[in-house]
Amino acid sequence: MQRAVSSLALSPSVKVKLASAGFQFTADLRHLKPLQLSKEAGLSQQEALEVLQAARSEGAGHREGALTALELLQQEEEMRSIITFSSQLDAALGGGLPVGKTTEICGAPGVGKTQLCLQLAVDVQVPPCFGGVGGQVIYIDTEGSFLVQRVVDLATAVIRHCSLLVEDNDQRDAMTSFTVETILSNIFLVRCHDYVELLAELHLLQYFLLDHPKACLLVVDSVAFPFRHFDDLLQRTRLLHSVAQQLITMATRHSIAVALTNQMTTRLRGGQSQLVPALGESWGHTPTIRLLLHWAGPRRLAAIFKSPGHMDTTIQYQITSDGFRDADESEQPQSKRPRTHNDQSAGSQREAGC
Amino acid sequence: MAVLREGLCPGLNEDLVHDLRAADIKTVEDLVSSDLEELAQKCSVSYKALFAIRRVLLAQHTAFPVSGADLYEELLSSTAILSTGNPSLDKLLDSGLYTGEITELSGGPGSGKSQVCFGVAVHISYQLKQSVIYMDTTGGLTASRLLQMLQAETSNTEEQMEALQRIHIFRLFDVYSVLDCLYNLRSGGLQQTSVAGGSVKAVIVDSVSAVISPLLGGKQNEGMSLMIQVAGVLKAMAKDFNVAVLVTNHVTRSGSGEVQPGLGVSWSHIPRTRILLERVEYAVSVGRSSLCSATLFKSSRQACHIKEEFDLQCWSRSKERSSGKRKLDETNS
Repeated sequence: MQRAVSSLALSPSVKVKLASAGFQFTADLRHLKPLQLSKEAGLSQQEALEVLQAARSEGAGHREGALTALELLQQEEEMRSIITFSSQLDAALGGGLPVGKTTEICGAPGVGKTQLCLQLAVDVQVPPCFGGVGGQVIYIDTEGSFLVQRVVDLATAVIRHCSLLVEDNDQRDAMTSFTVETILSNIFLVRCHDYVELLAELHLLQYFLLDHPKACLLVVDSVAFPFRHFDDLLQRTRLLHSVAQQLITMATRHSIAVALTNQMTTRLRGGQSQLVPALGESWGHTPTIRLLLHWAGPRRLAAIFKSPGHMDTTIQYQITSDGFRDADESEQPQSKRPRTHNDQSAGSQREAGC
Repeated sequence: MAVLREGLCPGLNEDLVHDLRAADIKTVEDLVSSDLEELAQKCSVSYKALFAIRRVLLAQHTAFPVSGADLYEELLSSTAILSTGNPSLDKLLDSGLYTGEITELSGGPGSGKSQVCFGVAVHISYQLKQSVIYMDTTGGLTASRLLQMLQAETSNTEEQMEALQRIHIFRLFDVYSVLDCLYNLRSGGLQQTSVAGGSVKAVIVDSVSAVISPLLGGKQNEGMSLMIQVAGVLKAMAKDFNVAVLVTNHVTRSGSGEVQPGLGVSWSHIPRTRILLERVEYAVSVGRSSLCSATLFKSSRQACHIKEEFDLQCWSRSKERSSGKRKLDETNS
């Protein structure tokens, strides 16, 4: 079977010109020289050259992106996860937010989506000697909900926590450069006001990532806001799908974790109303992991709703002044309780990393 | 069809190609569908010569008839039925995935499509000792989950590693790289991959909708054409190399709120068998179970709309040896 010219990654106008000149299959192009082709199909020489390169490259670079499951397993084991500071959630996710995957955080207003994002933005910077990844973060804010003051709170709590863990010289050295200022300077905030800005930012982000190889986390809070109340729903689905493919490409290629937040919406079915994540059914396929934050009476629960590698689990958490933490089961003072838990989670992280 | 050029067949020399081009006949298709008498006058060549050229070109481009008996013999000798490793799913598929066909799994987010794909990949690579090509377009493939499934099958680390090596992964996130990869596999890459381990018996694309749906809708029809090309190359590959192709698809809701496989009507003709997966949900308080119900939507062997329920955990639970054996025998026969 011959490959059709229309299946090559070329611009539509070039394809139309090729088709009208009678070139339907790549086999027809192979014996041609760029000059010949540009004359016969009415293309510029540059275009003709690109066409021939595209037609000839097939068969050459197919090992690119190919690996066996064993190699993938090794890659996965090398990648560290970003801890959430809730040991239960970390355990459910197998060590924290996975790097190289997209995770969607859905939830009703006020349940803690943004808090979790801010927490992750700080946590990703925990130095490697403390079991962190020591990376930078790109924070795309579409709702205007990024609060610097809150980040300072969280950062202070994380620094306090780490300073209690210091054991050897490495860690002492790391602590000197792990300050609120450095944490803040490693957060790159991008404020996008509408979907056009968001799409443009995502297009440019791959170049930004090349310049900042230390970036380990991309947060989009929220992906839903610019896309709700969209007139043309088909167009919306199309754009959302291309956003999703861009995000997963970046996550894989640059080994970064992608965290997205999504709002909830009400769906009526059979006279019953149901809270479901917004942006429609087909968007639900795009994140690798879907985390659902919801209220159960006064308690806050997080459920893994979709994940290829984890069981469906529900855990309880709370938001304290220090940030996203495990829920208190007993009535201990809040400042103490989370810390003991964190020690364990950070400790187990370190073991896993070594 | 090919562009007309010198040496394509006897009698088609440079002058004639030039004359034909002047008469706006550029491809074989143009020549075959043109009025030869008129053309002979226009290009001042003999009608007989043109007629001869046309006959040769038609013979070159035509397909050959195959007798049903030969086809049946080939079918018996080359078709394999690959068990999915799950008895309920095998029952729905009439004992497994058939090589040479496209089977589709569709379902909502978190309905277990990828889990079924993992299970099938592990089962084929470990139990049947054959290679699998896994195209991941959503980033959902997790090797640690594959390892988990293998650990349930065997505690021998070496066997686990061997099985993992037989799963070849391509991580491709746009339709052009998927097409590049598929055409490469078709033009010889598949055999190259086979050399490393057992021969490739299955190609899994999870998910096909993730790369196609960003192109559908909107004003230009390019998306549709690319979708059909993906379908075409998958079909050709399935037939030519005798591999089973398993693709996953998302779901949409029809106007009446019913769940149906995505990608529209044109795509619905492509897979030979379609299965819709849904999670069985109990009361809200119990939460979601790992039970999954599968409905047959389209099949050329079984009655449609049969429903089977199975547990998604079945691949990570160790099975009694006898059932694994039985399936092996079935597949070989």
